[in-house]
Amino acid sequence: MTTRTPLLEPAFLRQLDRLSLVTKRVMAGELQGERRSPRRGASVEFADFRHYTSGDDIRQVDWKLYARMERIFLKLFVAEDELNFHLLIDTSASMNWGEPLKLYHAKQLAAAFGYLALTNLDRVSVSACATTARSPQLPGVRGKRGAVPLFSFLQQLAPGGSADLTQFCRRYIQTARMPGPLLLCSDLLDPHWKEALEALTRRPFDVTVLHILAPQELRPLLDGDFRLMDSESGPAVEVSADADLLQRYAAHLRNWQGEIENFCHGHRMSYLQIDTAIPVEEFVLGYMRRRGLVR
Amino acid sequence: MSILSPLALLGAAVIGPLIIAIYLLKLRREERTISSTFLWRRVVRDVEANTPWQRLRRNLLLLLQLLLMLLLVVALARPFMTTQGISSGNLIMVIDRSASMGATDETPDRLGAAKQRALQLIDQLPDGGRATIIAIGGLMQVPVAATSDRRELRQAIEQIQLTTSGSSDLTQALTLASALAARESESEVAIISDGNVSLPSDLRLPARVSYFPVGRSGENVAISAISLQPEVSSQNLFVQVTNYGAQPVSRRLDLYLDGAVFNAYTLNLEPGREQSIIAEVPAQVQIAEAHLAGSDILPTDDRAFAVTTLGEAATVRLLSPGNRFLEVGLGLLPGIRLLVAPATTNSFTETVAQVPVTILDGVVPEPLPPGNLFFINPPRSTDYFSVTGEIEFPSVRPATGEEPLLRNVSMSDVSILKAVRIVPGSWAQIVVDSDGGPLLIAGERAGRRLAVMTFDLHNSDLPLQIAFPLLLSNLMNFLAPGVGNEAAQLRPGEPLSVQVDSQISEVRVTRPDGSRWSSRAEQLQGDQVIYAETEALGIYTVEEFGDGELLARRHYAANLFAPEESRLLPKDDLRIAQSSGLQSTLVREREGRQEFWRWVAMVALIVLVAEWLVYQRHGLHYLWSRWRSRRSVGSS
Repeated sequence: MTTRTPLLEPAFLRQLDRLSLVTKRVMAGELQGERRSPRRGASVEFADFRHYTSGDDIRQVDWKLYARMERIFLKLFVAEDELNFHLLIDTSASMNWGEPLKLYHAKQLAAAFGYLALTNLDRVSVSACATTARSPQLPGVRGKRGAVPLFSFLQQLAPGGSADLTQFCRRYIQTARMPGPLLLCSDLLDPHWKEALEALTRRPFDVTVLHILAPQELRPLLDGDFRLMDSESGPAVEVSADADLLQRYAAHLRNWQGEIENFCHGHRMSYLQIDTAIPVEEFVLGYMRRRGLVR
Repeated sequence: MSILSPLALLGAAVIGPLIIAIYLLKLRREERTISSTFLWRRVVRDVEANTPWQRLRRNLLLLLQLLLMLLLVVALARPFMTTQGISSGNLIMVIDRSASMGATDETPDRLGAAKQRALQLIDQLPDGGRATIIAIGGLMQVPVAATSDRRELRQAIEQIQLTTSGSSDLTQALTLASALAARESESEVAIISDGNVSLPSDLRLPARVSYFPVGRSGENVAISAISLQPEVSSQNLFVQVTNYGAQPVSRRLDLYLDGAVFNAYTLNLEPGREQSIIAEVPAQVQIAEAHLAGSDILPTDDRAFAVTTLGEAATVRLLSPGNRFLEVGLGLLPGIRLLVAPATTNSFTETVAQVPVTILDGVVPEPLPPGNLFFINPPRSTDYFSVTGEIEFPSVRPATGEEPLLRNVSMSDVSILKAVRIVPGSWAQIVVDSDGGPLLIAGERAGRRLAVMTFDLHNSDLPLQIAFPLLLSNLMNFLAPGVGNEAAQLRPGEPLSVQVDSQISEVRVTRPDGSRWSSRAEQLQGDQVIYAETEALGIYTVEEFGDGELLARRHYAANLFAPEESRLLPKDDLRIAQSSGLQSTLVREREGRQEFWRWVAMVALIVLVAEWLVYQRHGLHYLWSRWRSRRSVGSS
C-alpha cells in the first residue's frame, strides 16, 4: 500500500495497454517472448533451410523436401524472444529542479515505457545514477505482474548529489547481462555528456536518449543582475541578464541540443527532446505515436 | 552668467555620492540557484569577450542619473544672464499710445515696437513678479493692474490701440505709478514712449524709472492749421504747413473743395519753419480738404479738413441795463447775432433752438430763461449758486492746466475792484479763482451750460485788455457750441454736442469712414445729444430730423492739430525726479537678469525620459521583437 499519488493515471495505463514499443533492432533474449529474435527457434514463421549435420534434431527435418530432393534439410523457424529493457534514470541534483520537476517527469516517462514493455512480455530492469557507487537497481521484472514492483521502485528513487554520469554508464554497460533497448532519462547537464553517451555504444544496446529539460531551462526568465548558483557543485556564474544575453543563451541551448542530436544520430541512437511542461500522456500518446516509436 | 542661489550646488555634493553609493550597492547580485550553470558558463564566456562595452552600457544609467542630478541642481541654483531691462518684482509699465506712436520709422510702427519692448520686459519679469500696465495718450487706461499672470499681461499689451485724442501726458500716469510704487519696496517704472510727453514738475517717484525710447527719426511735415473763414461774398481758406524735422523738405500741398481738386502748391519748408497758404474760395464751398502729397513717417497729420461757417449764426440774448463793452465785444464775434433785451424782461417765448444763449448782466429774472446762461455779477442766489457777500480787490488766480476757456487768454494782469462772493454748486469748475472766492466758474447742469462771472465789467479793467474779446470768444464757443469759427473744428475724442429741442426726433451722425450712428429716443430727452466717438480724423456730418424730414445738416472736422504729436524726434532721456536722487531715466547696462532655469529643467526632463527608456530597454526590446514577429506572421 502506498499513499503517494500513482506515477501514472489508471486511464493512461489503460491506453498504454493497447500500445506496443517498436524496436529498431532485432535482439536476442533469454526466454521466449513475443519479439523476433536473431536466433532460430520455434515459431510459425519460416526463416531458412540448412543442411543436416549430425546431431541436429530430426524433428526439424523437412521431410517433404527430402522426398523431392533426396537430401536431408532442416527447416528453420524464427525464434521469438523476450526483450531486455534497460531504463537508466539520472537522479542527480540537477534533475531535482524545474517546474514541473524534471526527476518526476523522468520517473513518469520511465514508468510509461516500462509498463509498455511489461505488457509486451518483455523484461524490464531499472537503474538509477546516483552519487554512491552502489546505485539502486531493479534487477528485472517481467510480465504485467512486474508493474507493481516497477512503479514502487521508481517512486522510491530519491535525488542526490552530483553523479558522474560517465562512470555510471560505463559500469552499467559492462555489467548488463543481455543487451536490449536502453532508455536514458537525463538532462545531460554535464560537461562530459559526450563520454557518457559514447560509453553506451560499447555494446549493441538500442539506445534512446530522453533529454529532459525544464521550461525554465529552455526559456529562462531572468532580468537584472544575478549570481547563478549550481545545484550540484559547479562553479557560480554572474550574469547581467537582458534580452541580448537571453537571446545568446537560447542560441547556445539550440547549438548544444543540435550537437547532442548529431552525436546520437552518428552513433545510431534515438534522441528525443522533452520539455517537462508537456505532460507525459500527451508526449507518449501524441508525439511518440506520430514519430512511430509506439504502435 | 551667474547664479542666484549657489547653496543649491551643495546638493550635488550630497546627492552625487549617494547615487554612486547606491550603484555600488546594487552591483551585489541577487543569488539564484539553477539546475546547472553548465550552459550559462558557455554563454558568459562569450559575453566576457566584449566586457568593456557591456560595462559601459551598464554605467549608462549611472551617467544619465548623474547628469539629471546635475541639471536639476543647476536649475535649482537659478542661473541667469544679465540683460538690459528690468529686475524688480513690481513693474509699472507706461506705454505711450498717442498719435505720434503711429509713426512708421519703426516696423510696423512705433506702437508695434513699443509692444515688442513691453513683451520683452514681461519676459524678464522675475518669477512671482507683478506688473501693471498703464496706457497714456488720450484717456489714461489701466488694462491690467498688479498681476503676475503673464498671459493676461501679454494680452493686455497686444490690445493697446493707437489713439488720436489728446496728447501724451505723463503727469497722471506717473502720479498713479508713484502711488502704486509706494506700496512696495522694490518697484520699477518703465516708460515706453518716444519721449514727446509732458512731464510733471513736482513729482518725486519712489521707484526707479527706466525710459525705453522708441523711434529713430524726427522728419515729419504736418498741416498744423486749416480754416475756412467767411468773407463778404466768398470764403478764405487758410492752411498752415509746418516742417517739424531737421531737414529742409519740399512737399506738394493739394487742396480739395467739396471733394474736387482745387489747387496744388509746392512748398519748400525749412527745418522748424511753417508756411501758410491763403486762398480765396467760392462761398458755396462746404468742405475743404488739404492733403500733403507724398508720405512721411506720420501720415495721420498729412490731411486736414475745414468746414464752412458761412450763414450760420447763433442768437445771443443780452439782458442788461446797458453794457457797451459786452455789446461791442459780442458784435465783433463772427457767427453771433446779438439780441439786446431790456433788463426788466421776465417772460421768454423763444425756444432753445431760436435763442440758445442768454447773457444776464447784473440781473437774475424769475423764472430763468431757457437755454445756456451766462451770469455776470449776479445780484442774488439762484438754483445753481448762492451769493453770500462781496470781495474787495480780489487777487486773480487763473486755473492751471489746459483750460479751454482760458485759451490764449492772460488774466494775470487783470485788476478787479470788487466782486460778489458766491458759493458754486458741485457742477461748477472754477476757471478763475481768487483769495476770497471764485471769479469765473463754468460747467454743465441738467443739460444746460452755465458760466458765472462774479464781477461787473465796469468794476475791472478786463474790458480794456486784449484778453477780453478772446475770453468772450471762448465763452461763446463754450456756451453756444456748433457756432462760430472754431465751432466746426473738433479735437479728436472731443465729444460732439448737438443742441436739440422738441421738434427734433432723430439726430444722425455720419462718420468719416461712412458708417452711421443714430440717436436713441432717450438721448433726445435733454437739451442736447452727445456723440463721443470722434476718434477718427475727418469730416463728421450731423443731420437733424424732425418727423422724418431733414431739418438741418452740419459738418464738423476732426483734425490732429497737435504740435507735440507731430514733433516726432524721440527724446534720448526724460528728466524725472526719483527718490534715489536720480533725474535721468536712461537705462544702464546690467539691469535685468534673464533667468533660464526653465530651459535647464526642460533638458533635465528630457534626460529623465532618456534614462527611463534606457532602464526599460529590455521591455522595449521585447515589444519590438514581438511587433516584428507579429508583422512577419501577418505578412506570411
